[in-house]
Amino acid sequence: MKDQIFPWIILFLPLAAAAFIALFTLGNKTVSSLISIGAVSIGFLLTVLFICANGFHPATTDVFVPWLHIGGLNVDIGLRLDPLSLMMLLIVTGVGGAIHIYSYGYMHEDKGMARFFAFLSLFTFSMLGIVLADNFLQMFIFWELVGVSSYLLIGFWFEKPSAGDAAKKAFIVNRLGDFGFLLGILLVWGLLGSLNFSTLESVLSQNPTLLGGMATAAGLLIFCGAVGKSAQFPLHVWLADAMEGPTPVSALIHAATMVAAGVYMLCRVYFLLNADALHWIALIGGFTALLAALIAVQQNDIKRILAYSTLSQLGYMVMAVGLAGRTPAMFHLTTHAFFKALLFLGSGSVIHALHEEQDIWKMGALKNKMPITFWTFLVGTLALSGVPPFSGFYSKDSILGQALDQHHYGLYFLGAGVAGLTAFYMFRLFFVAFLGQPRTDAARHAHESPAVMTWPLLILAVFAVAGGVIGINDIYNSQFNPDLAGLSFGQRLMEPFSQSPLGAFVGLGAVLAGLFAAFHFYRNAASDPLPARLGPLASAMKNRFYFDELYEATFVRLHDLIAGICGVVDRWLLEGVVIGALRGGTSLSGRGLRFLQTGNLQTYAFLLVLGVVVLLYFVISK
Amino acid sequence: MNNISILTYIAGIPIFVALLLLLVPSNYRVIFRAVSVLAAFVSMILAVGMFCHFNQAQVDSEGFRFVQDVPWVGSLGISYHVGVDGINVGLILMGAIVAFAATLCSWEIKNREKEFYILLLLMSGGILGAFASLDLFFFYFLHELALVPTFIMIGVWGRGERKNYATFQITLYLSIGALIALLGLIALYLQSGANTFDIPKLIDVIKANPLPVNVQNFIFPFLLFGFGILVSLWPFHSWAPLGYGVAPAPTAMLHSGVLKKFGLYGLIRLAVPLLPQAMHHWMMAIAWLAIGNILYNGWVAMRQRDLNLLIGNSSVAHMGFIFLGIASLNLIGLSGAVLIMVAHGFLAALSFALSGFIYQKTGTLEISELGGLCRKLPFVGTLLLMAAMAGCGLPGFANFVGEVTVFFGVWSVPALHFIVTLALWGGLIIGAVYMTRAIRNVLHGPLPSEFAQISGSTSLWRKIPYALLLASLLLFGCVPSLLTDKINPDAARLTASAQTRKTGPTLVAMAQAAPLKSPLGN
Repeated sequence: MKDQIFPWIILFLPLAAAAFIALFTLGNKTVSSLISIGAVSIGFLLTVLFICANGFHPATTDVFVPWLHIGGLNVDIGLRLDPLSLMMLLIVTGVGGAIHIYSYGYMHEDKGMARFFAFLSLFTFSMLGIVLADNFLQMFIFWELVGVSSYLLIGFWFEKPSAGDAAKKAFIVNRLGDFGFLLGILLVWGLLGSLNFSTLESVLSQNPTLLGGMATAAGLLIFCGAVGKSAQFPLHVWLADAMEGPTPVSALIHAATMVAAGVYMLCRVYFLLNADALHWIALIGGFTALLAALIAVQQNDIKRILAYSTLSQLGYMVMAVGLAGRTPAMFHLTTHAFFKALLFLGSGSVIHALHEEQDIWKMGALKNKMPITFWTFLVGTLALSGVPPFSGFYSKDSILGQALDQHHYGLYFLGAGVAGLTAFYMFRLFFVAFLGQPRTDAARHAHESPAVMTWPLLILAVFAVAGGVIGINDIYNSQFNPDLAGLSFGQRLMEPFSQSPLGAFVGLGAVLAGLFAAFHFYRNAASDPLPARLGPLASAMKNRFYFDELYEATFVRLHDLIAGICGVVDRWLLEGVVIGALRGGTSLSGRGLRFLQTGNLQTYAFLLVLGVVVLLYFVISK
Repeated sequence: MNNISILTYIAGIPIFVALLLLLVPSNYRVIFRAVSVLAAFVSMILAVGMFCHFNQAQVDSEGFRFVQDVPWVGSLGISYHVGVDGINVGLILMGAIVAFAATLCSWEIKNREKEFYILLLLMSGGILGAFASLDLFFFYFLHELALVPTFIMIGVWGRGERKNYATFQITLYLSIGALIALLGLIALYLQSGANTFDIPKLIDVIKANPLPVNVQNFIFPFLLFGFGILVSLWPFHSWAPLGYGVAPAPTAMLHSGVLKKFGLYGLIRLAVPLLPQAMHHWMMAIAWLAIGNILYNGWVAMRQRDLNLLIGNSSVAHMGFIFLGIASLNLIGLSGAVLIMVAHGFLAALSFALSGFIYQKTGTLEISELGGLCRKLPFVGTLLLMAAMAGCGLPGFANFVGEVTVFFGVWSVPALHFIVTLALWGGLIIGAVYMTRAIRNVLHGPLPSEFAQISGSTSLWRKIPYALLLASLLLFGCVPSLLTDKINPDAARLTASAQTRKTGPTLVAMAQAAPLKSPLGN
């Protein structure tokens, strides 16, 4: 294998950048940001060079250095190099690089810019660690590290109470998922005796019954990790709050890369998931897709709409994995990374131009004032809605096709329905924010963002347009379905229609229906007409179906209650009783002993003699 | 072998300097501060050197290095015998680093400085000596030498209105704990019939003639609860948060970081090899008590309104993971336990040092009165954030390696799967809840107006102790093999002997009786 050192450099360069910024250049914005941007850009270049030299199937797929070896517990820090991880490397460094550059413009006014870039580099390092991990514990380590980077970046503006709360919530909810994940890892390790993915796979392929009755449990526990990180129902509540972080963070972490890590992980450990586990995974994914799409319909914060749309798209990907479609899942993950990063960066550009205004009902008529943002946002919207020939159409269609292949018609129609909803809420956002009349002064005086912010938009827009037909799914297929032949450009362009025309047309019909519904309601709307028409359903959607309140009333209350009881027990019972018993016991024995101190000479003499007798007895009898 | 061991210097220099300081008049502040710091520094450098040369050092027949064995009271079998193996080498290194950091942090002490430094040095030297001792007498005596100054320091230099009550409680608890442990040790000494206080010899004798199971089961509770009280084993923990809450920062650092590990070290050094069947017999009970530490104290920590009480309770909760690792009685679990002992030493010291710093600046540790300190105290704020993250088991810090190793070790005991699940809940969820709450309320959020004037600018000199402790946490967290390569052979030997004797003939009767007699059941 050529350039074996490259992946190591790609992995550790961002860490070095983060450490360097933290130790030396915290006072200097420009230098710090350039170091951070440099690290991720070099990572992207090296990834491209490595792939040019070795292709997507390097000769060695596993390189590692020993890290922790104790008895039967063997953990290495390793690199797994195959199409799956190499494509993810391209996404993380490529899309990540664009977002890093954009951040230079977006964060320029912020006094914490150096800190921001240190965190961003720390995140990039952690994310690359997940992507390259060749064993479960390494993946868990970086899993936790992306969790903390996300925590730090959500809480970047920590003086804002809402940011601090959102960061805390994201961390704890993620930890709930990690609880199951680590338990699953322990279960797999206990039964199969290894943590290394390739070893596990070969052990399991030789003896598929080794997991026995625990197979479903192990699969679902590991899936818990994905539920937390990819914000699937029922742990979906953190992602919308995570929008408290700066917008580039939302684009990078909470849209393009970290939240997709759950899907990536499921594809990586797919061999551990049995039919039952996959069934549940598909259902949860499908349900999340629907739930989040419904919520998105009634949100008014531009970033929250995008956040729920992210949730919904992640639901699609998880559903695809559950339907045994790893290629569709990863394909959609990739195109989603392009167009969702684009949409977030576009929304950031809008927010920036409108002085931190995020309510779409306070925007309007931005088309002429921000043409680049407008057109790229339109591209992103079309791609996300699944309009051909934009990238989202192809990847979404491949997921729907997978559902048809598996004869899972319920999930197929759910997926098609969600596609319609997606088109509806995205064009709602688009019409309200970008067209119509300007609703506030800020919207009237908006102006286009600087070039350092618009260039990343243009680059991402190119991929959001073309991502569907440049053969990304062929690369994944070369790993997951090696028998499948690659397609020519023309074939790719027409593939959805040649593969299952009915499926494609139904999906497309749903999208068009959603689009026209949005056009009908929001073309020139001054306020949202839906609440009046939908009544309580609309307020349930607006209030996210009250999941936060539900968790607040159950999980949080329960823990607080137990904590309260423990606190009382600790303070009054344990301290009081133990100390009281000791104090009481001591004083009681003191009083008891006082009776011996009678002052009566005869008693003393008697006791003395008694003692002598006892002593003599012991000495002589021995 | 009777050259003076480096261990004698590591423990002896602080004690010797403490005695020397008695001669310095108490208005020569610069002199005794410089001398104290110097003594702790030399001790630390020697400990680092010892740690680095551990692998090349000569090993004696019992597996110890840097050994010195000087007979003292021949008739009782007491000798001055010191040495290190994989179990205590990390502890001594950690102890010496924490002692140096604590000495540096003592700048916050403003009255009766001379006495404070003398006591601090006695404490440092005593506990380092106790860890190095391979003779029961010195093992116990040196620990007491370190323990008594703790009480005095909390009583004299403590803060807050509950100072006297806390001193009373900690003195009572720890004296009783030490006394119960002493009873156990005496019983061990008498029952072994070896007429020696020498730990390796005692182990050899008992290996040859194992103690009867009923004797083991009788002695073990003395060691478990005696040492357990010293380590704040649930439900005998209430002294710890309270005591640390009022103690001056250097004392809290040294006691929670180093001194508290003595009980755990005693269990590993003595109970595992000498009372293996009793360990097996009590496994379930220890595991459940450990869960008491992890869950109960985690929940209690969630309720705390004082930062020091929160850190104290979290530190008590962490002890649970160590007990759990010891209870697993296998190589992975025991290695994990030793790893956490070292990691927690650094972490507890760092946390108390930081809370001490914040107290210096703000005059309060009431969580509700604090807030937004990250902006005003960027250095200390960042470190506190990192300490909190280390405390809830974030990878990169040494605690994670230890905790995850313990989880794996305990998981390999099928009977303890449920226990691991509970411990995971405590470590991943409850830990995250109280740590993020603390960060949210102390470091994040708006800054209260009364702290608008405080400034976090500190000289480089004062940053040293914090940076040193954090660097140690990160070093062992990122390169755990530095420790595990040393721990493994000795942990393997300990657990192997415990395992073989578990299946030995004396165990047949016990194995059947165990489910019935197990004190807390399954």
